[in-house]
Amino acid sequence: MRRLLAPSLILAATLAAASAHAATPKDALVMAWNLDALITLDPAQIGEVNGNDIMINVCNRLVQPNIKDVAKIEPQLAESWSTSADGMTLTFKMRKDLKFPSGKAATAHDAAWSLKRAIHLNFGNAANLKEWGFSSEKADQQFVATDDHTLVVKMDKPYPVGLVMSAAFSSNVASVLSKETGEKNAKTTDSKSDYGNGWFKTQSDCVGPYRVRTWNANDVVILEANDNYFGKKPGLKRVLIRHVPESGAQRLQLEKSDIDVGRLLSADDLKALATNKDVHIEQTVMHGFSYFAFNMGDPILANPKVREAFRYLVDYTGLEKSVMAYLGKARNSLVPIGAFGALDEKEGLPFKLDIDMAKKLLAEAGYPNGFSMKYILSANQFNPAVAQHIQANAAKAGIKLDLEQMADANLFTKMRAREFQIGQIGWGAGYPDAHSMISRHAYNPDNRLESKLAQYPSWRSAWFDENINKMTDEAMMEKDPAKRIATYKKIQEHMLHNGPMAYMFQTVRPIAIRKEVKDFAIGPFKVDYASARK
Amino acid sequence: MAVTDVNRQPVAKPKLPLWVWDAWRIGSSVAATLLGLLALTFFIGRMLPIDPVIAIVGEQADASTYDMVYKQLGLDKPLYVQFWFFISDMLRGEFGNALFTGNKVSADLMRVFPATIELATIAITIGVCLGVPIGVLAAVYRGSPIDHFARVIGLLGYSVPTFWSGLMGLVLFYAMLGWVGGPGRLDVFYIDIVDRVTGLMLVDALIAGEWEVFQNAFSHIVLPASILSFNAIAFISRLTRSFMLAQLSQEYILAARVKGLSKWKVIRKHAFRNIAVQLLTIVALAYAILLEGAVVTETVFAWPGFGRYLVAGLLAGDMNAVLACVLIVGIIFVTINLICDLLYRILDPRTK
Repeated sequence: MRRLLAPSLILAATLAAASAHAATPKDALVMAWNLDALITLDPAQIGEVNGNDIMINVCNRLVQPNIKDVAKIEPQLAESWSTSADGMTLTFKMRKDLKFPSGKAATAHDAAWSLKRAIHLNFGNAANLKEWGFSSEKADQQFVATDDHTLVVKMDKPYPVGLVMSAAFSSNVASVLSKETGEKNAKTTDSKSDYGNGWFKTQSDCVGPYRVRTWNANDVVILEANDNYFGKKPGLKRVLIRHVPESGAQRLQLEKSDIDVGRLLSADDLKALATNKDVHIEQTVMHGFSYFAFNMGDPILANPKVREAFRYLVDYTGLEKSVMAYLGKARNSLVPIGAFGALDEKEGLPFKLDIDMAKKLLAEAGYPNGFSMKYILSANQFNPAVAQHIQANAAKAGIKLDLEQMADANLFTKMRAREFQIGQIGWGAGYPDAHSMISRHAYNPDNRLESKLAQYPSWRSAWFDENINKMTDEAMMEKDPAKRIATYKKIQEHMLHNGPMAYMFQTVRPIAIRKEVKDFAIGPFKVDYASARK
Repeated sequence: MAVTDVNRQPVAKPKLPLWVWDAWRIGSSVAATLLGLLALTFFIGRMLPIDPVIAIVGEQADASTYDMVYKQLGLDKPLYVQFWFFISDMLRGEFGNALFTGNKVSADLMRVFPATIELATIAITIGVCLGVPIGVLAAVYRGSPIDHFARVIGLLGYSVPTFWSGLMGLVLFYAMLGWVGGPGRLDVFYIDIVDRVTGLMLVDALIAGEWEVFQNAFSHIVLPASILSFNAIAFISRLTRSFMLAQLSQEYILAARVKGLSKWKVIRKHAFRNIAVQLLTIVALAYAILLEGAVVTETVFAWPGFGRYLVAGLLAGDMNAVLACVLIVGIIFVTINLICDLLYRILDPRTK
């Protein structure tokens, strides 16, 4: 026994020393999140929520939407901008006090290089520029720094300035990266440069309140305040984002004060935390949707009455209060509340659970005895519960739905290849304007299979309506806001009853925050880490 | 009496020493095994309906972006060419980049594998230290409350889901009692204090002379290692019990007792020594399984280990990461088998 005494005492002493700290550091914001999807920090390449959320706090853009009133565009790296008389040239005046974390000045030349780089690299985000006529071939003429503080942008059409500012110049591709760092770390393969993508994937050198100090994939991201930042200094010197994929573990850490903010908590854990006086749950209605899409290539689903019947098989408000509590707000229109041109709450939610109506519509469509369909969905989060709800209601109307759950990557692959009948999925609007959703979900430039326009959910569903295309083009170029709104409303009303998607919920982002954290500004397009204080 | 055949031609002596032939035989067999393992994983992996391009370009990318990355990844080449590229890179010590982390796979493995080695080593230590005595006592006191206790431990170890026991462990020991650290390898106060030398947090903290970091790292590892060891305790104790029962029923045990040796001396010096080889085999097997990574434990405890890395790679269709992981798992099993073979010779002279 004596031989066991010494190790036992060491063990006891070590365990007694555990949890010596009952709170997070005073100068740091500690968040827990699931960082599985984070694969790159390069603003030109980021295509998922984590990377976008983090890098918007590291790399400022030319302009930015107001954090609360997102339709209002404000200066950020550009202090002002003007438009030529023909509406084809935009001139940005850059701030003169911009510096990279190294202390080196950031100029319009860095801005022009960053925009050209994004379009040459041609990752998914390049669409934010290509959609407005910018191209790799013409980029050198389209983005020109005439001096250190002036960036001239030439467009191919006189697009409404507010729309272009919102869609392109407040997005990831308008982040200003260090040209010098990018060129120094560029690698060339088959005579094609990566513009430092290999370096920017894991590190940062841009103008923003924080810089990336450490990123260990699937472990932790550490941001450190950028002492050379031109704007208001961050309230907390460091931001630590820990990878905690399990909701229950996040909740325990939050209750124990081992983290300040929980970013991915299940509805059950949020409900439990709602009763905790030390924790506040901030819910933000996002510009994204959960919906199920119909493949119009299927003859049954091509019938608008069948699609309409499906819309009556969901108890939107019931699910909003149960499965989707803290996660979604019932909405059927494809334009999210808060976006320019959206239908109001009542107009945007005309459907409710009505099995009899669904049966009637199915009978009118020629399917009084129903039919069988395959319904694919992600195995993550609330998706299985929502799909089972729809399956049960569909069965009451005579429709047999075979649910197939799968990994997200598998689901995306199938839907992008039109290999589905009904698929449940999500989508996030890139900017707060009706055009963002309509240009992808209602507009389809080429419905041929070989056109492979998989970036358009409308194409994935084989949806094509020439009149909708025409209205979308007209609205995009319309300079009178009232006329644009009127056209967008007409499109929404048409899509509500005829479109290839049944929108169910506008995404809600719940963030659980400990009471010690003050002034944390959170908006649908930005969680402003620099605003947080303790 | 041996008879010499005078007409027989003398057999040509091998030009190389015997150990070289042994090494060649073992080496070629190991290489063939690993190659087969990689080929099987690669071709099955490519059959999965998961598109690695989506992981890079995002779900909203257009066709030109998609096609560009598709070609960059070499996916336009025939499968056997892709496999050959991987093998030739691998022989140069290069596993390529992991799609889902953006880093070199070798760098990722240098980061995640030590985390798993540390966790698995402590887990197997707990497993052996508790599992073997429980198994021996259960056999010696067969049918007694100790034996029933061992059975209950075995049953729970096999049947309680790690997800549940992990969360319950966190609720009790971390949230309620505050005896251990929470998820992750360290509290936020200690992150980035110690320089990375081995990647084993406990060892690196000791090398740096940071006792506080060591304590904190220990408080974080003790619960996941204990949860992970639960299954090993069940496995080892059940098999130790049956091995011991088989030995204790032998006549030589009775003979030793008749000769006047004490009960525990017989158990320790005769029965237990005779199960050493079998015990070594199961402990090695349990350790190898733990080294493969424990996805559920790593998920619940936010442990940045090998198991989660492998699964994340698989779900992203990232064959570079998956194949490198499979190779590591193959090497672990081969190495542990070889070490066992060597230890058998020490523990059991008959195997020499």
